[in-house]
Amino acid sequence: MPPRLNVDNLKSYFFTRNGLLKAVDGVSFHIEQGETLALVGESGCGKSMTALSILRLLPEPGRIVGGEIHLDGRDLLHLPEIEIRRVRGNDISMIFQEPMTSLNPVLQIGDQIAEVLRLHQGLSRREAFDHAAQSLAQVGISDPIRRLRDYPHQLSGGQRQRVMIAIALACDPKLLIADEPTTALDVTIQAQIMDLLLKLKQERRMATLLITHDLGIVASNAERVAIMYAGQIVEMGSINDVFSNPLHPYTIGLLQCVPRIGEKTSLATISGQLPDLTKNHEGCLFAERCTCLCNKKQQQRPALKEVTNNHLVRCWRLS
Amino acid sequence: MALLEVKNIRKSFNVTDALGRNRGKLVAVDNVSFTIEAGETLGLVGESGCGKSTTGKLILQLLKPDQGQIYYAGTELTGLSAAKMRPWRRRMQMIFQDPFSSLNPRMTVGAILSEPLIIHRLVPAGQIRARVIELLEKVGLSAQHEQRYPHEFSGGQRQRIGIARALAVEPELIIADEPVSALDLSVQAQILNLLKQLREEQQLSYLFIAHDLAVIEHVSDRIAVMYLGNIVELCTAADLYKNPRHPYTEALLNAVPVPDPKHARPLALAGEIPSPVNPPSGCHFHPRCPYADNLCRQQAPELKPLTGGHLVACHYRDQVGRYLVRV
Repeated sequence: MPPRLNVDNLKSYFFTRNGLLKAVDGVSFHIEQGETLALVGESGCGKSMTALSILRLLPEPGRIVGGEIHLDGRDLLHLPEIEIRRVRGNDISMIFQEPMTSLNPVLQIGDQIAEVLRLHQGLSRREAFDHAAQSLAQVGISDPIRRLRDYPHQLSGGQRQRVMIAIALACDPKLLIADEPTTALDVTIQAQIMDLLLKLKQERRMATLLITHDLGIVASNAERVAIMYAGQIVEMGSINDVFSNPLHPYTIGLLQCVPRIGEKTSLATISGQLPDLTKNHEGCLFAERCTCLCNKKQQQRPALKEVTNNHLVRCWRLS
Repeated sequence: MALLEVKNIRKSFNVTDALGRNRGKLVAVDNVSFTIEAGETLGLVGESGCGKSTTGKLILQLLKPDQGQIYYAGTELTGLSAAKMRPWRRRMQMIFQDPFSSLNPRMTVGAILSEPLIIHRLVPAGQIRARVIELLEKVGLSAQHEQRYPHEFSGGQRQRIGIARALAVEPELIIADEPVSALDLSVQAQILNLLKQLREEQQLSYLFIAHDLAVIEHVSDRIAVMYLGNIVELCTAADLYKNPRHPYTEALLNAVPVPDPKHARPLALAGEIPSPVNPPSGCHFHPRCPYADNLCRQQAPELKPLTGGHLVACHYRDQVGRYLVRV
């Protein structure tokens, strides 16, 4: 059986005035039913653009120039526009970072949840509202029938994110893409939202692509993790393998940058900056910032290779 | 004598609706007291709306407190006129959260850094440029950056410029309001290390305001935890994570996700953060508190000392720790 989501050699380039920017450059991964894959990296590494490519919602001047994306074996990149619109919000849903800007401020939240159900499931207005009230109850909002008449500004940040989750899950998607779902929330509310996502995932056996920069969130919520750097995956494996035995110098560096409670030691840093992705780079993209001095890396790009069982690394030292 | 003493300050704002009608009072900071010694870093941690940024602004007299006093090196700042306040402003500087909106996009970095030198007449005109370059080098930039504009820099570099601007007037106290929360992980570590290094080199004191307990714990000597305008716990950084005595501190520690798959999952605290316009009766934390009973609903606990200068505002502080998830 094919995996729920399979992304193979995805290339999404931006044709900017300053030249060609390879935002996503040959990314491959898969997610099984009921599994959460975390996509981790710093700003500009291409993690959000990977997610938007899956939904075919890349902003201008971006275009998918290569690769394949399959959901349950169905080719998403070659679907006609009318078909992909049936996939969005139905088979694949997305939750965004900022719940205030992703909700429509002039519509009651009941209408916003019902819209998805009427569009994708063909429910009547009445049925859709009943279903919407149930969805709100499932995401832990008390007094759901009265809440349907609220506008987004009447809710707190945590409640708005719950509404976003209710909208995303209204049609029982096969794949949920959560792009920094708790970054805008306070830490006690963040823990509530991550608990809710875990509960809903377990009930529905949904596959989840969790995009985050917070390694703590990854460790407590994902089964596998892919670390992205400059448009490419540099390391991928189970969270146990990657956290206890990180192999790529960038992953090692990231793990050492995190302040941990009760440890007063000085933080390690990764010197230098992201390479300019509009320029052509022949060698390893991390070479300029890397502490290891393998001589090969200047000339040629290392491939993502399996080092141990399902633990993949893109580094000359290990291939 | 402490470098900074904040004594029972209170600040409220009138809340109006869209038509300008009065909708009550929001008490942002309520009866807050603490001191900062020379060379010390005090961390101020709490969730949105707890009053931590308002406290920072009150210290700099950017807001006037309704009640209470602020002393800097023994001199009362509260009630000083703007003109009399100016020499004190040189001694206290602020670093802001958003390095994108806190630098003037039409000024070169050189102009941004010379402005405070000119206003406070700190160096003769002929030496301004040399001082600007010295400042740039101090924060890890170089002379070649002097003629550039803020948009040409990354977020981390802009935060370095913000730090250089604060250092230009040779302050003693720096109020850093979420200085790393807009930055990427690797850049965050660079800026935290820079702030620590500058503290040692220049004997600076910091009031470090942040919502991230791991960051606060990393940089601070002592930490004050705020909830809905009150300080609920104040103690050394080590005491805070080893021996929290307020249920909110305990909940915050439990909610921080740890980057280690073997560690217990973060424990969620029930309930929402209440509106500061209409805070709960008694102890403001009681609706979310696993230890709360009738006493907590009726009577607000005072901030009282335990041994070793550890201050806690909780009726049941001896019981707290029961729900703490140990590493």
